Amino acid sequence: MVSKIKKEKEILLESTTLKKCLTECEKGEEVIVLNVNAGLKAKRRLANLGILPGAKIIKKKDAPFRGPIEVIVKGSSLVIGRGLASKIIVQCDESCSS
Amino acid sequence: MSSHLPQKDSQTRGNNNKAAINIALAGNPNVGKSVIFNQLTGLSQTIGNWPGKTVEKKEGHLNFSGYHFNIVDLPGIYSLSTYSIEEIVSREYIVSKDVDIIINVIDSTNLERNLFFTFQLLELQIPMIIAMNQMDILRKRNIDLDFNLLQDLFQLPVLPVVAVHGTGVHHLLNKAIEMVHPSETNSLTNKNSLRSPDLSQITTFGKEVENKIILLVQIIKNSLTKGDNKIHYPPRFLAIKLLENDEEILKLLNNGSEFKEAIEFADEYRTQLEEYHGEDIHTILSSEIYKNITTIIKKVVKIRSQKELKKASIADKLDHLTTHSFFGYVILVLVLVGIYLFTFTIGDLLGGLIENFYNNWTEMIYSVFGEDYFLINLFWDGALGGFFGGLAGVLVYVIPFFFVIEVLQDSGYLPRAAFLMDRMMHAIGVHGKTIITMILGLGCNVPACMGCRIMETEREKKISIALTSLVPCAAVMTVVMGLVGRYLGLGWVVILFAINFSVILLVGRILNKIMPGKCTELIMEMHEYRVPNFNVIFKQTWMRTKGFIFKALPIIIGLGILLELLFIFNILEPINVILSPITVFWLGLPVVTGIFLIYGILRKELTLVLLSLFSANIGLTIVELFTPIQMIVFSLVTMLYVPCFATIVIIAKNSSWKYALQITFLEISLALLIGGIVHFGFLIFSSV
Repeated sequence: MVSKIKKEKEILLESTTLKKCLTECEKGEEVIVLNVNAGLKAKRRLANLGILPGAKIIKKKDAPFRGPIEVIVKGSSLVIGRGLASKIIVQCDESCSS
Repeated sequence: MSSHLPQKDSQTRGNNNKAAINIALAGNPNVGKSVIFNQLTGLSQTIGNWPGKTVEKKEGHLNFSGYHFNIVDLPGIYSLSTYSIEEIVSREYIVSKDVDIIINVIDSTNLERNLFFTFQLLELQIPMIIAMNQMDILRKRNIDLDFNLLQDLFQLPVLPVVAVHGTGVHHLLNKAIEMVHPSETNSLTNKNSLRSPDLSQITTFGKEVENKIILLVQIIKNSLTKGDNKIHYPPRFLAIKLLENDEEILKLLNNGSEFKEAIEFADEYRTQLEEYHGEDIHTILSSEIYKNITTIIKKVVKIRSQKELKKASIADKLDHLTTHSFFGYVILVLVLVGIYLFTFTIGDLLGGLIENFYNNWTEMIYSVFGEDYFLINLFWDGALGGFFGGLAGVLVYVIPFFFVIEVLQDSGYLPRAAFLMDRMMHAIGVHGKTIITMILGLGCNVPACMGCRIMETEREKKISIALTSLVPCAAVMTVVMGLVGRYLGLGWVVILFAINFSVILLVGRILNKIMPGKCTELIMEMHEYRVPNFNVIFKQTWMRTKGFIFKALPIIIGLGILLELLFIFNILEPINVILSPITVFWLGLPVVTGIFLIYGILRKELTLVLLSLFSANIGLTIVELFTPIQMIVFSLVTMLYVPCFATIVIIAKNSSWKYALQITFLEISLALLIGGIVHFGFLIFSSV
């Protein structure tokens, strides 16, 4: 017996054709977090800081040379290493340049 | 379980039999806790370590309104989990009997994230005051907060504060007095409920989670009555942590069998919740807290006018510039050079003054006592020589250093540097924050290695310490410039630097491979630039200097005395002979260098200082004593062979003596290896 909420989430994830990872987003793009595919510790840390499924975040900029990513979450700036950022799956809010 | 306020009648601490109130300042990093702490405690601060841990403990005190306040400034943290040692230390301290009131300092311009921590603190059920800081900035942004509503929602006093101006800070103390001694103050407010809030009635989470918590709390309360456990945490906190599978709490409760039932049920409930929500437990709990926060924000935040600040502020422009793909790196290099120049100039200036002072007195003393008076030698050359040497050699670089760290940290530049360098730092097995300590290491390894505390995991801290201690500090540069730079030209200096940094790269990669665990990804909050608060900076610099003087300096002096004793009893000559297989045969250096290198452990530049003294003494110039290759080998060895003694002590205090010795051994081996390669390589090359 699978729970209703879980099923709804799975449907949402599969149907979203506009999902991509944080590293693929444009500078200044506002997105909604779908999923964080990281290890438990990193996932928890990100959760504490507000990067949770359903949260709205704005990608501020990339560091040069494929470095970390700066995002705005809950009103302040967070810097996330590139490897971790690529594990954060987001959905574009409005019109997306895929 | 109704909340309680500690019985204060029998507890009188402090001077003059004043009743004592113990306060802990808690909050996210960079919210202004230190500013408030400085305002309250002034120069009574001490910076030490939490017992048995490598986390900084800042305490201070003041007398106010007839009470003696003991204040502890806890490290800035985002939650009370087991993510870092700072979090563990903080939560253990808060529930110990040593805290009467928590003052939760909140950055009112960053309310959402700050309130997350507030909810964490509430679970510890200790009387709390919320201090809303940066109210001036909030007003400038035309935003108002409904303080009354906030107080109602949290059932806690919420007071506005502008820490940098000192506004509202002493109101916090008044409120604390009210809360701890309600009978003795005649409060005119009708908010009597705030003085003894029933914190066990908070409901933070959604219905499903809260139901499970209630069930767990019952089981835990039963278990608590059995056995004589000394657990200070409230049952609700334990319930939540068991649901989260918190390692430390599990360790605590696994001791007896009383809690086996609770743990089993917690595991079951966790599985149920995770199944139901389709997420792991941390995501569930964090989500629900943030949902709660969003509701609260909607109610209490009022935006007065819709005028958006469209123009980019200076802080924004500066941010853009310092993280720019080109200018960002230019600025980074400039900052590096600036740190160097700053430390060198001030350090040399102060050092010169102190040396002159010491030398003048030396002349005077010897003219009175002659040169062979044993006790005078021991005291003046040994102890005082060590002391002044420590001052002139280490402290004069350390002080401008602490100052620069504080300025860079306070202004907000360091995270930008980490941002730019994170990618490259991965090549040597660490993440961006290590560039910060390595930059600092260029001036002096001592505060730089201390700075390695900012790493989140033990693994990162250890690797950062190893790499930072390999960075050539100002003292080392004195030797390299004075020897190779002066006699062989700057080209060779660059080559030696390159070799040094290649070694750092290599050691980084090797440590990355052999140390268990993976490099954690960078997760760092980046604050807006702000003008450094020099009041706070000067006080902090002084506090750290004081801490350094009382910890490392006595050891340096002790070593100075030891070396002086060795000199007086003529044990030094034999040491040269003992070391000659290494110095003469392997490294190809003159036999006297044995002693120079031994002294170099005390202060790196002593290798050059003693060399100069020696050559002056026997009437030969340095060029006559050393061949070019010998100069290169000597400089290389000085750069790599051992962290200076003060650094070794700091590494031990920040990690362990075992690790400090391991690093020392590693560096000696590296120095000998490379020195030998250069020496024999040259011999082979020149005989071809």
